[in-house]
Amino acid sequence: MRKILCLLLFATALCVAQKNSDPTPEEISEAKILKLQYPNDDLVLMKSKDFVTFGFNDKDQQVSVQRQISEEMMNVSSRTDIQKHIFYDGQSEIVNFGLKYRNNKSAFFKIKDEAFTIEEFFYNDARVKYASVDFPVQGYKYFFEATKNIFDIKYFTSVYFTDSYPILNREITLVVPKWLNLEIKEMNFDGYEISKTTNFDDKQNADIITYTVSGLDAVYKEEQSPGPSYLYPHLLILAKSYTHDGKSFTLFNETKDLYSWYKSLIDDMNDDPSVLKAKVEELTANAQNEEEKIRNIYYWIQDNIRYIAFEDGLAGFKPDECQNVYKKRYGDCKGMANLTKQMLIEAGFDARLTWLGTKRIAYDYSTPSLSVDNHMICTVFYNGKKIFLDGTEKFNPFGEYAERIQGKQVMIENGDSFILETVPVVAPETNRETHVFNAKINNNALEGNVSLTYSGESRATFLYVFNNLRTEMKNEALEYYLKRADRNMMVENIKTSNLENRDDQLSINFSLKQDNAVSSFDDEIYINLDHYQEYGKWIFNERNTDYEFPHKEFLSSEINLELPEGYKVSELPQGIDVNNKNYKIFIDFELKDNMLHYRKEFVMKQAVVKKSNFKEWNETIQSLQSIYNQQIILVKED
Amino acid sequence: MTKNILCIAIFALCSITSIAQSKKETEKQEQVKNLVWNENDPYRNVMEISENWKNESAVFLVKTVKYIYNRPGNSIEYTKIERERIKLLDQAAVTEYSEFAYTEGKVFYREMSRVTNTFHLGVKVIKPDGEEIEIDVNQESVTTNNEKKIAIPSLEKGDIIDYYFYTNTIVGENDLYQYEPVENTIGDNYPIAKFEFLLETEDDFFINFSTYNGAPKLQQIVEPTKKDKKRVYSFTAENVERNDFPRWFFPLVELPSYKFQVLFARSGKYEKKAYAFIPEDVNTVKTNVSKEEIFNLYEDKFRPYGELGDVERFLKNKNFATNEEKVKEVFYYIRHAYYTNYVEAFVMDEANIMYPFMLYGKNPIIFNNEVDFVRFFTAFLKDNKIDYEIIVGTQRYNGDIKDLLLESNINFILKVNTEKPVYIEFFDAYATPNQLSPLLENTNAYTLKVVDRKHIENIETVKLPTTTYKENNSTEKTELTFAPDFSGIDINRSFEYNGQTKIDEQKSILMYYDYVYEDHAKYETEPILDRVKNKRDQEKYKNEYAALLKKLKNNQQEKIKERTAGEYNLKIDNYSFKIIKNGRFGKEDSFEYTENFTIGNDLIKTAGKNYILDIGKLLVSQVDLSNKEKNRTNNIYMSYPRSFNYQIVVNIPDGYSVSGLENLAGNVENETGGFKSSAALDGNRLVVKIQKFYKNNYEPNAKWPQMVAFLEAASQFTQAKILLKKV
Repeated sequence: MRKILCLLLFATALCVAQKNSDPTPEEISEAKILKLQYPNDDLVLMKSKDFVTFGFNDKDQQVSVQRQISEEMMNVSSRTDIQKHIFYDGQSEIVNFGLKYRNNKSAFFKIKDEAFTIEEFFYNDARVKYASVDFPVQGYKYFFEATKNIFDIKYFTSVYFTDSYPILNREITLVVPKWLNLEIKEMNFDGYEISKTTNFDDKQNADIITYTVSGLDAVYKEEQSPGPSYLYPHLLILAKSYTHDGKSFTLFNETKDLYSWYKSLIDDMNDDPSVLKAKVEELTANAQNEEEKIRNIYYWIQDNIRYIAFEDGLAGFKPDECQNVYKKRYGDCKGMANLTKQMLIEAGFDARLTWLGTKRIAYDYSTPSLSVDNHMICTVFYNGKKIFLDGTEKFNPFGEYAERIQGKQVMIENGDSFILETVPVVAPETNRETHVFNAKINNNALEGNVSLTYSGESRATFLYVFNNLRTEMKNEALEYYLKRADRNMMVENIKTSNLENRDDQLSINFSLKQDNAVSSFDDEIYINLDHYQEYGKWIFNERNTDYEFPHKEFLSSEINLELPEGYKVSELPQGIDVNNKNYKIFIDFELKDNMLHYRKEFVMKQAVVKKSNFKEWNETIQSLQSIYNQQIILVKED
Repeated sequence: MTKNILCIAIFALCSITSIAQSKKETEKQEQVKNLVWNENDPYRNVMEISENWKNESAVFLVKTVKYIYNRPGNSIEYTKIERERIKLLDQAAVTEYSEFAYTEGKVFYREMSRVTNTFHLGVKVIKPDGEEIEIDVNQESVTTNNEKKIAIPSLEKGDIIDYYFYTNTIVGENDLYQYEPVENTIGDNYPIAKFEFLLETEDDFFINFSTYNGAPKLQQIVEPTKKDKKRVYSFTAENVERNDFPRWFFPLVELPSYKFQVLFARSGKYEKKAYAFIPEDVNTVKTNVSKEEIFNLYEDKFRPYGELGDVERFLKNKNFATNEEKVKEVFYYIRHAYYTNYVEAFVMDEANIMYPFMLYGKNPIIFNNEVDFVRFFTAFLKDNKIDYEIIVGTQRYNGDIKDLLLESNINFILKVNTEKPVYIEFFDAYATPNQLSPLLENTNAYTLKVVDRKHIENIETVKLPTTTYKENNSTEKTELTFAPDFSGIDINRSFEYNGQTKIDEQKSILMYYDYVYEDHAKYETEPILDRVKNKRDQEKYKNEYAALLKKLKNNQQEKIKERTAGEYNLKIDNYSFKIIKNGRFGKEDSFEYTENFTIGNDLIKTAGKNYILDIGKLLVSQVDLSNKEKNRTNNIYMSYPRSFNYQIVVNIPDGYSVSGLENLAGNVENETGGFKSSAALDGNRLVVKIQKFYKNNYEPNAKWPQMVAFLEAASQFTQAKILLKKV
């Protein structure tokens, strides 16, 4: 038996319990009231201040930014444990990271500094500094302070008012020296009482601009939300120019300056397209026409270049050379866009690099800032048209555009100037998905043939998932999908179109036996006609943000039921016909001869349910649920 | 100026060292590479797979695993080289091998010995036309925190990836060292055309090695000579199909597999000190551990030892009707005194509320392992003149005890020979006497016979007791009350777990505060806050602890709520639960709790004026067998025989009658188990009674259709519906 001498550990005891900083009764009551106001949050920032100053770094000849953050954090729950963190990257540093108790004595928490891995990137230079902080009782407070230095002002693009915790009093101060020409765009201020004061400080020869606002909710943790630039109030910082030693220097004064910087990075590249020659020849040799050549190159890139991104310093903005991406068979969006461009040029086309912000970003190129774009594609000038090719897409046909880039403004390279265009928006019909089930009753089952078709993004999604399955599991997985993983569904005789073809409509036909869909009680037959019940659970009860669909869904479904002889339908549910700007939901029941035709159509016209439409949407879905909930009753004919 | 020169000098020196270092490393990397990819590599041109594997995701053209144990100078060195050459046939396989992550080697100290770990990765991509692209791993890899990552370039569908992991560990100055045991199946995620296993050792390395379930036997291919002490052993396998791990399956009992362990003992002196199962001499590979060897090894290991002061104080002035009762009570006492008594302290420390350990006196007794506990408990038995024996068993997934090879596969059970024997195995917060690990039940084991309650004098083969499906019973009652407008259902559930069924449930539901205070009261020990004498401190800790408890209880409730919602696959609201009985005192002591919640109208369908209730959906967690599972070819290995009694009570709303009771009757029973259900009206209550039972913990594959019969009956029941008809 071993005895552990705890005495040895006593020495460490003295360092731990320094916490004479319990909340006052007033603070405890305040916390209790705040908990009622913010029932889903554990912490509230009583005060949160950002104090931003600008300087000039002679060594690098760059305008630098210092952002001092100070917060008063209060625990409103019983006990809370958090990781207080702040992010930075290769273009910034964190100094003075620390916490204090409410009595202003330093609180010692171990501060860790680690690379922060983001799933989207294989490697990036993002880092996080953090400490694990415990708030032992309700009302407990800490003061948090940190300073973030950003070495180059072009990477300082915005300041948000909101945080992951609710904020009672938020203050953002910017001390803008007269030598710096800075435009501050006030974004999403509607609905918030944000006040602004500007004072000129003689001593610093600077404008001191202060924004204050109170009572901000924590940022919403909701899936399929619009990007933060649509949702939360923030300041967009546009550093236009500065004067140093009597000379004026332009930063991003207008879009052409942004373009010039991007262009300078591209001019710095050493593309060697000769490496691509053989592959381009192979891909274009048997093409029937010019379009097929583009198609073959575009599809080859989609299928053979893996998306692996390195976001490390300038690599976040500058594409990797085409020969590298080609040899490595992987790259990020920029690398793929550039490879597409170089291969198309090699094949004799006019192809250009193209910058854009995806749907997630609220801005367009009227704002000259690095926060405007997050993506790169290739534009090919063909037959007098500009066609956009996004190598990161999978199973995307030539000439069709993914929802995330539709309607977005793009900046196309054009020598020393640039072209602004907009990616076309496609009609929801493009993504049409159809289901037809011709059913008969066989004892307790519905039986018959099903045919499914998929187009546009519904097809691309299907093909992508299917083609990424292990070969030996594909058949089983397809069956499982067609059965909707339900033990009652028996699927046989599956016939599909070519499941690697991204251009033509995809179709799947099979015979289905749906057990336990029919129940008989006391001479009456009850039919659970609709197994799929699409959108039936989509009630938005506690949601604060618009719901965005991955694409403009268009589903048309038909179940045609042959009634057994000697039976009639006792009563049919009422249909639904809602058709507005954002969506169409249509349900119809029709009896014709001995057939019951049950038709559904769901069209998400803008790929979004707006928060302002939630009430109407929920009412429609409730009607839909009521239909889904109703059994079709067959009674014996008199 | 001087300072600057000095700086430069130091800088230069560092650079030279690092260049030298990196040159040495590069040389080492080249050496390792040549070990795998050299002119003699018989697989260097293998490209093709057999026709029957064309529809696989990928195929191992070759998989070799090589272990080398040798002793340079005073150190001992371990090397593992795993090389895989895989043809990637689809996108899923390309994605699988698209990125590698690994930890680089390092140097550290373990028990005063310097340990040097080295790791190398080598990767080649071979194109279908035979072009070989060797990846520069140093150049291509990136470091994130302590991990290295590499994205494999040039990789496409149809390519072959040929790579190796080289792991090397050198432990300085060691006379006796036991390496971790290895237990593996030969098969892998993809089929293997050629599998090659190599084990290379030299003098003073003792090998236990065996293969199982039809795997080829190990052959010695290099004999030591006077000059070269090297010994090489090997086995190879061809055309190994992809592993498949179905439900209720023990891979090491059915699939071709191998197990081994290597021990280093520098001289005869250390051999004796090894206290391990090792072959008689270094030239022999030990393939099995016999009964006699177990006896010889454990003869001295279990001498009773422990300070019994606490136990004696506990026993003072207590009378027990039988020794059996005494043994059990002492076990519970120890479980508290040396375990649950301290749980609060660890919680307080972890939550940073206080440093608690000084509140418990200077020398608390902590058991570090099974053997510590057995020695302590046998000291008590010896002191009280109670006979016992020590059973050596092995869990069912390791195979039978007669095939035992590795000491790590052994479990010890204390059998106390009281009026009715008492078996003691576990020692944790829930452990109770006679509750054996389910996977030891009904297995063959050895018992070490103890005379004078001190000396182990003999060893015999025994069969460990088994439980029946009736003992391992859980009862679940579900009562439903409809909301007046049928918009939802209020559900009350109560659970009672008995026998083996309670072990997992206790661990998943209970938190320490559900039983620690019960123990403090029973054994009159002070909860932690009572131990704090300073009033101000006590007040502070009390507040902080109360806040922590509130949070823990919230989390507990959320966790159980989520679990229940998951069982029904529905959103549930207004959730609450209550622990009725902890079930920690005796095998017969049941664990019981209740829960209450509401669901929406998901299980209610409207049918004109009537309603259809998906009553079968209230029988949650049933097994749905896929077609593939129905055609299973393996035997069936389950944890323990078990039975479930369900009762579903539906309070029929006023003004409604029930139709469809006949849909709820079922009766399948055979020698593997059964499913029975019946329904009856009791006033305005519909009472459905269901029994489901698995009679054995193992069934041969031939009986699988019988199991399928009752599993399907249960699954079919989940589809049952009743009609609530407006009267």
